[in-house]
Amino acid sequence: MSAAIEVRDLTRVFEGSKRRGRERDEVVALDHLDLVVDEGQVHGLLGPNGAGKTTLVKILSTVLLPTAGSASVLGRDVVRETRAVRPLIGIVFGGERGLYGRLTALDNLRYWAALHRLADAEGLRRAHELLDRVGLHERADDRVETFSRGMMQRLHLARGLVGDPPVLFLDEPTTGLDPIAALDFRRLVDELRGEGRTILLTTHDMVEAEAVCDRVALIDRGTLLAVEAPRTLATWIARYERIDVDGASEEVLAQVRGLPGVSAVNRREDGGARIETDADGATQQVLRTLVDHGITSVQTSLPNLTEVYVHLVGDRGLEV
Amino acid sequence: MEGWLIPFRGAMRFQLRALRRTPTYLMVLVTIPSYTVIFLALTDQADRPDLFGAAVLAPVLIAMWGVAIWVAGMIVRGDRFLGVLEAAIATPTPYSVVLLARILVVTLAGWVAMAETWLTAWIGFGVVIEIPHPVTFVLTVALTTLAMAATAVIMASAFVLSRVANTFATSASYPFYVLGGVLVPVALLPAWVQPLSRLVFLSWSSDLLRDSLALAPVTNVAGRLAAIAVLTVAGFAVAAWTLGRVLHHVRETGELAFR
Repeated sequence: MSAAIEVRDLTRVFEGSKRRGRERDEVVALDHLDLVVDEGQVHGLLGPNGAGKTTLVKILSTVLLPTAGSASVLGRDVVRETRAVRPLIGIVFGGERGLYGRLTALDNLRYWAALHRLADAEGLRRAHELLDRVGLHERADDRVETFSRGMMQRLHLARGLVGDPPVLFLDEPTTGLDPIAALDFRRLVDELRGEGRTILLTTHDMVEAEAVCDRVALIDRGTLLAVEAPRTLATWIARYERIDVDGASEEVLAQVRGLPGVSAVNRREDGGARIETDADGATQQVLRTLVDHGITSVQTSLPNLTEVYVHLVGDRGLEV
Repeated sequence: MEGWLIPFRGAMRFQLRALRRTPTYLMVLVTIPSYTVIFLALTDQADRPDLFGAAVLAPVLIAMWGVAIWVAGMIVRGDRFLGVLEAAIATPTPYSVVLLARILVVTLAGWVAMAETWLTAWIGFGVVIEIPHPVTFVLTVALTTLAMAATAVIMASAFVLSRVANTFATSASYPFYVLGGVLVPVALLPAWVQPLSRLVFLSWSSDLLRDSLALAPVTNVAGRLAAIAVLTVAGFAVAAWTLGRVLHHVRETGELAFR
């Protein structure tokens, strides 16, 4: 399998504001990043805000130049062969921006089709086909500003596909979507994978990454921490569980603290306690201990990405 | 070249739709009758009916240039505000071609200003402006529209660089009006300015338009139209190059979406 996206030693430094009597601040968004995404893969780029995900997507989509290093899409260098790269890529941004709200969905897509050099008739056919595909055909002639967030997101995807690109960048595509809309969107991504497109998807949602990606790159402060299969993420999620408990005495908590696989026990402000585990099977043991002491007001939950980060990379993972 | 025609047409169609939804693109049409009254009142007071044609052309040309500049800024600012600019830059079509097409549509629509001034002259002063050389007039109007749109793309570069480019664009317009012979024919300008003004397409346009409103035969029409055409092509070449450099710069600084 050949590489659709190849990133070598990629560095991007942003110059911050200059303060009186001091040197201009510098922000390192990408720090000697290496990444390879195989053709036909859905590759997740997972990291907290400020990790460098969007910076990487911007460089790959030719709207930002790297400070050092190289990046290529289907063998074309994004800096030296910009014109050759642009017909190969589609970009889908998250949120409500990126569309002309006062115009209809059809007008929007026809415009982007023209910019991808599809002749009038072909552009119209493609626009209708895509609106049908993302379930917006009935709303083709409605102004985009009247759309719900989920509908806008589907239109974003249609816009990204209008040039029929073999490589697609999805930048936080499900941000702000309700669960049903997010699920629909993931189904569409799954279909695109079936068509053999390469997709680089940035997200800070671990569950989403697990649901749609073949591989997931964990990125923090512009460096690559690991590239894993989603299965590994599932293991992390299962391992790092948290238990919220009410009515536990200090004695009970001290006993829990001594159990194997318990990584932290902290009092909450409301008087309850939060217990965190970091090993398989530890949660069951904690629950058994609590129940043995007659404590039944217990709630378990899976960690979010930030909490997994705390476990994996320490507190620095939270600083952006 | 052929590859640009499809996006060019598509961007024109898009802008036409946007114009219907956003009539503020043509706000300048509101101020035009007032300018026309001022210019006509001056010529009327001076008892110079021979200058009525020039008096109605001046506000039209000022309005047209104003529309072109205003729209160039509005498109860039709008695309940036809506978060569309980055996606537009990442398409296979140069942004300069998109801008040219979109500015051209609004500038074309801006010729409604001409009907306004003609009407103002007729209703306000009882003056009927005739066009003794209609073919020359129409050809000049067509070429001038294209030239204005092409030149406005240069200004668009300033809007990509800065959010406050409006002030710059407005200020830069005044020397343009002088060199373009909009208010005072180039022949009446100081001798040392005249060669410089010949590098501005508007100087050829305004002279030719004024001549086409006069009864006397218009001389060297083809040559003068060719001068406008050459300056249009040169203007767009400069615009495309400048915009390309500016976009490269903001891709380098990472300020494409934020400026």
